[in-house]
Formats: sequence, C-alpha cells, structure tokens
Amino acid sequence: MLLELDGIQKRFGGVTALRKGALRVQAGEVHLLMGENGAGKSTLMKIVAGMQSADEGRLLWRGQPVNFRSPRDAAEAGISMVHQESLLAPHLTVAENIFLGRETARYGFVPRQKLLREARELIEQYGFPLRAEAQVRELSPAGKQMVEICRAIRHGSSLLIFDEPTSSLSEAETREVFRIVAQLKARGVGVIYITHRLEELRTIGDHVTVLRDGETVHTSPLADLSMDQLIRHMVGREVSAVYQRERIARGPVRLSVQGLSRPPLLKNLSLEVHAGEILGIGGLIGAGRTELCRAIFGIDAISSGTIAVDGVTRQLRSPREAVAAGLAYITEDRQRTGLALGLPIGQNITLASLHRVSQYGVLNQSAERALETRFLERLRVKAAGPRQLAGRLSGGNQQKVAIAKWLAREAGVFLFDEPTRGIDVGAKAEVFALMEDLARQGAAILMVSSELPELISVADRILVMKQGQFTGELPAGCTQEEIMHLAAFKESVH
Amino acid sequence: MRTSLWQRLLPFLTLIALFIGLIIATPNFFTSTNLSSVVRQTAVINIMALGMTMVIITGGIDLSVGSILALAGCLGTMTMTSGFPVLAGIAVGVLTGCLAGLLNGALTTRLRINPFIVTLGTLLIIRGFALILTNGMPVQNVPKEFSFLGEGSVAGVPFVLLLLLIIAGAVHVILEHTKLGRYAFAIGSNPDAAFYAGIPVRFHTTVIYGLCGLLTGLAGMIESSRLMTGQPTAGQGYELPAIAAVVIGGGSLRGGEGGVVGTLIGAFIMGLLSNGCDLLGIQPFVQQATIGAVIILAVSVDELRKRKMV
Repeated sequence: MLLELDGIQKRFGGVTALRKGALRVQAGEVHLLMGENGAGKSTLMKIVAGMQSADEGRLLWRGQPVNFRSPRDAAEAGISMVHQESLLAPHLTVAENIFLGRETARYGFVPRQKLLREARELIEQYGFPLRAEAQVRELSPAGKQMVEICRAIRHGSSLLIFDEPTSSLSEAETREVFRIVAQLKARGVGVIYITHRLEELRTIGDHVTVLRDGETVHTSPLADLSMDQLIRHMVGREVSAVYQRERIARGPVRLSVQGLSRPPLLKNLSLEVHAGEILGIGGLIGAGRTELCRAIFGIDAISSGTIAVDGVTRQLRSPREAVAAGLAYITEDRQRTGLALGLPIGQNITLASLHRVSQYGVLNQSAERALETRFLERLRVKAAGPRQLAGRLSGGNQQKVAIAKWLAREAGVFLFDEPTRGIDVGAKAEVFALMEDLARQGAAILMVSSELPELISVADRILVMKQGQFTGELPAGCTQEEIMHLAAFKESVH
Repeated sequence: MRTSLWQRLLPFLTLIALFIGLIIATPNFFTSTNLSSVVRQTAVINIMALGMTMVIITGGIDLSVGSILALAGCLGTMTMTSGFPVLAGIAVGVLTGCLAGLLNGALTTRLRINPFIVTLGTLLIIRGFALILTNGMPVQNVPKEFSFLGEGSVAGVPFVLLLLLIIAGAVHVILEHTKLGRYAFAIGSNPDAAFYAGIPVRFHTTVIYGLCGLLTGLAGMIESSRLMTGQPTAGQGYELPAIAAVVIGGGSLRGGEGGVVGTLIGAFIMGLLSNGCDLLGIQPFVQQATIGAVIILAVSVDELRKRKMV
C-alpha cells in the first residue's frame, strides 16, 4: 500500500471542508477520486501534496505516519501534483519550466545544455509531444498540461495526483494524457485522478473513491460499479445521467445570424434560433464556437454578415449594445469573465440590471435587495446570503449566479458557452432545467457544449462546427458518432 | 458594508490608541489650537485621498494629483488676480482639476495604457504646464477674502473640516448608493466581467478619474488659500500620502476594495503621527521612517486577515 488516509478532518474558519476523508492507493493503480464540487476532493489532495495540513486524521506513506509541511516535503517523499490551472512561467522554455526550482546549479550557474539534455531525455522516454526549447507561452492548453506532467515526474515520483487534467482538452489531447497515465501506471507509479467527466472513467481507472460532503462514502474497484450507482453515490440521490427534456413548440425567430465572417477563423456562418428553442453548437476545441459567441455578443468585430434580434437588424459593436438588444452571454470561464469574485453575490446578480433598481443613478437599496433575493431563491443558490462573496461559492453555485445576472436583466436571447464546465452532476441537471424553463417562457437559447451526451439530450437541434464553418445540422436524439463525424471528418459544405 | 467590521475596526482602534497615547504623552496635543492645525494640515491630503479612493477602487491609480493640485491652484489664483471674483477663481481651479482628471481617464481607457504610466506622464506634463504658465514664479497678491477657504472658521470649527465632512459624505454616497460607485467596484474587481455584463467600462472609469481630479482641484485651491499664493511647485510628492491613506484604510491596489471611512482613518493616522512627532520633538527624518513603517504594517495586517478568511 502506497498511501493510506483515514479520518482526515479539515476546517476553514467555520466551514468544514473534510469530515471523514479516507483513501487507499496502491502502487501501479489509477485511482479515481470523484464527488460533486465542494465534496472535499481538492482539499484532500492538497493535504496529500503538502499544500495544506490536516486538522485531524492519519496519513500513512508506505506504511509510515507522515506530516508534509510543504509541497517540497511531499515531493521529496515522491508525491507530486499536476494542477488544473497552469502554474508555469510562460516566458521560460519547456526545459526551464520542467526543472524550475530544482536546477542542478553549479556555483549559482545553471548549465543550460545539461538542462536541455535532461528535459529531452524525459520527453523522449514518455513520448510527450513537446520540444524542450519551446517557450511555454506558445503552447496549447494541452501542451502546458504536458509540461505540468513532466514537471511532476521529473524526479521519478511514485505517486502522481491529477486534478481534472482534461477539463479543457479536446478528445485527441485527452487520449494523449490517458496514454501517458497508462505508461506511468505500467512503470508502477500510483496515480490519483480527480475528474468530473463520467464518460472518461472506464478507459482509465482501476479503483474509485467517492467523496460526498467531506466524507468518503464509497470505495471499490471501478469494474464492480455501474454508472448509475456511481452517480448515486456522488449525489446521494437518483439522477439520470442524461437529461430528460420536454419538447416545446417553437415560436418566431428571435436570433438570426446571416453570413457572419471574422477572419481568420469564422467563415460565412448563418443560423436562426426560435423562441422556445435550444440550438446546440457542437465541434472540437478550436472549431470557433466561443469565437462565434463573442462575435454575436459584440466583443469581436465582424467583417461581414448581419445579426438580427427579434426581427430587427442590429450593429452590435460592444457587449453593451448586445445587452441592450436583449442578448445574454454566459461565458465558458465564469471566474475570468462571468463574475466579480470579490463582490457579494447580490451585487453580481444585479450588475447588468442596475437601471431597474435605480433612478437618476441613485440605487434603491430595498428594490435591489428584493431583486437579489428573488433570483437567489428562484435558482436555489446555496449561500449564506446575498452578502456572501461570489468567490466563496462552489462552481455550480457560481454558475447559477452568473445565469441569475441575465435573468434579472430579463434577456430574451441566451448564449450559453459550456454551461456545465466544472460543475457537479446535481448542478448540471439544475442548469438544464433552468434553460428549459427559459425556453418555455419564450427565450431563444444557443448552447455551446463539448459534452456530446449533453448536447444530444438538451438541444432541439445541433449545428456542428469545424474550422470556423458549419459542417451540418443534426436533430435531437442523434448519436455521438454522427456529431463526431461532422466535427472531425466532414468537409465543409461551402 | 463593503468591508467586514473587523477590517474597519482595526485601523480605527489604531487611530484611537494613537489619539489617547498623544493626549497622555504631550500636554500640548489636546488643545483646540493644535487640533485645528492638524485638521487644516491634513485637509488637503484628506480630500485628495478621497478622490484617490475612488480611482483605486476601479483598480487604477493617479500619480499626477500633486501636479494637478499645483496647476489648479495657479490657474485659480490667476483668475482672481486678473480681477474676477474669488468664487470664480475657486470654480476655475476645481474645473481645471476635473479636466485634468478626465484627461487621465481618457488616456488610460482610450489608449489602453496602464494608468501608472499615463499618470506618470501627466505628472510631468501638468507640472511643466504650471511652471510655463507662471514662468516658475508664484502667483501673488490674491484677494484677502480668499484666505477663508483654508484658514476660516464657522462657529469655531475650521471651515475645511466642514468641507471635508461634506465631501466625505458625498463620496460615500457615490460609492455605496449610486450606479457609478457600484460600477467602480465591479470594474476594479473584474474588468472583463464588467465589460461582458454590458457596463460602459471606459466611460465610468473616465468619470471616476474626473471626480478624483475635481477633488484634487479643490484641494489645490485650499492649499493656495493657506499659502495665499499660487505655487507652481506646490504639491510635489503629495500623491504618495494620498495613496498611503487609501491603502492604510483597507483599499487594495488590485482594485475592488476601499472606502471613505477607511481612507479618512488612514489619512488621520498619518496626520497624527506627524503632528505627534513634531510635538514630541522627534526629528523629521525619523518621522518619515515611522510613517513608512506604518504603511507596511497596516497593509500586512490586512493581507494576513484576508488570507485567514479564505
């Protein structure tokens, strides 16, 4: 047994992040760690990696009780973590990043050639698609992830922790990460893998441990567990993996985009979304789906084409004009572009609708409070109250606040860009229910998603994008293979 | 309600402790003459710091306030010496400050240059302009009535104190109860999220710089009134205590945090420190070092507290 954790407790102020964390990992296995957001997975892993210390509980490393005081302590014992967000120095090379902080310096001088050679050896050994002398800022997200992995294994770690490594990667890139995980496993390295993406599991995991509300509620070999059982353990209630939608009769066209182009990526894109309709946009990472949303929302200028909202052709040159026309954009990166994390939840909700609660620029506090409370309750945001800072919420609840901002604004056309990224199963179902509710009330919804099962079950029809063009349209209930075919192989229809 | 009670309380307790300490340590501190001189001395920095608070909340900074103060003072007093009424002169000074602030805001938002660089540039430009305008000589022979602004009293209370309280109230209302204030916090907390929410980010940022300039212009007139001249070299280095007051009071240079009460406390802490050192006969050199230490101490305590809460 490589690692044994028992009865781990961790509190942050008044909040208990972990109550009874337990986990056992053997050498040469891939151990999946699952649970909803806020279940305590990341906290548990930070304790293992020496980034935080447990308040109570037992941590055994190769049978010996240990207490890592810093990531360096853990790394010296042979435990490394591959982080979700890139913690790399963008201006340094791949080789310099791999050995950052561990350079074998001679009298303070770093021998460049030796560094490069060692990095190249490591890269070749595992077959990473990397060049040791490339600058990290020029790499794709997947490339950066690879550098993170190199960094974690540079000193022959015996336990590697992956914190949702594939959430921002394409299919092909994900396969590449899995190949490397399989290699590590074959070399007898223990791997702990945190993930939200259920469909990835089968191909990679041996064991699974499920955390719920800071407590380990289940652990078993993955093969003994059906997907439904797994979801049940995670949420503690029955949730169907795929959303069941009620179809709604569609009304008039609310958003019409004709011949939209923005060099170099977007070419002659046309689409229509009706009232009551959810139009799915599928495609691989880099196909231009987010760029399409940005162009419609007035963030990036378009070189040709027209956008009409509710039958009126509009020149949308800024988000301000798009919002005034009735558009709403729930961005894929809510932390960067969706929320002001340092402000209270309530102020985030009313941010786009202050005109509704103010006169001559002066805010009416009771009206604002009423608006905040209405949407906090309607979306069932789990929070201490409207004064709680948005940054203190879990991913799912942050997403609800980001959506509430546009509900408060009474927008009519919604652009949802990866609405379920990084949120847990329960919150996903709630987000879909909300989208359906909006559609029922006559909103037009455009939904970009990389999760094919979600597109298939939530959208009324699906447009598939490849390299900035639409390659085809599919009806609800199509297969994942059909979407992948259009997204990856189909030649453009134009 | 922007900041937690504890965050507000700590600087306040420091101020109280300082106050009580000075009453005990020096007999001359708790006298109306001394207290009103403290108020008059700190009023200029206080008013500038209130403007700076708004700018820092948006995540910006204005290094040019010292120069704006000088230019406003010169133009205002020149208006008076050319025969216009005192009030017209004050209006010209305030307006000058406002225009200079709007220029800072427009340059920052339109050219998308870091405000540190923009206002470092305008610091030199505006100072140069004030020197050219006056040929480097102070503006003299200003009307006697003008001294009321900086030195006058109403029912025994220094007029500048009343002015400061009114301005503090107004800035507080702007920050906490208007759209402009809310947008300032949102822009400072996350400019991208504010932009994506359809907020006219550049417009509101520019207005905030304009307001900072306006208050600085008024501070310039108060400074001139106290000196009874328009000094083109006035206000050199004033940007630093103004920024320090905001930061001691809990404002963050990363934006999204700050408030009127905190800034006033920060400014008074520095004012009392310097007054106390004078009364206790401590060398001015030591004074400077003390204030520097207080700035670092205040901010580090604040950072520690924030980290604990996460």
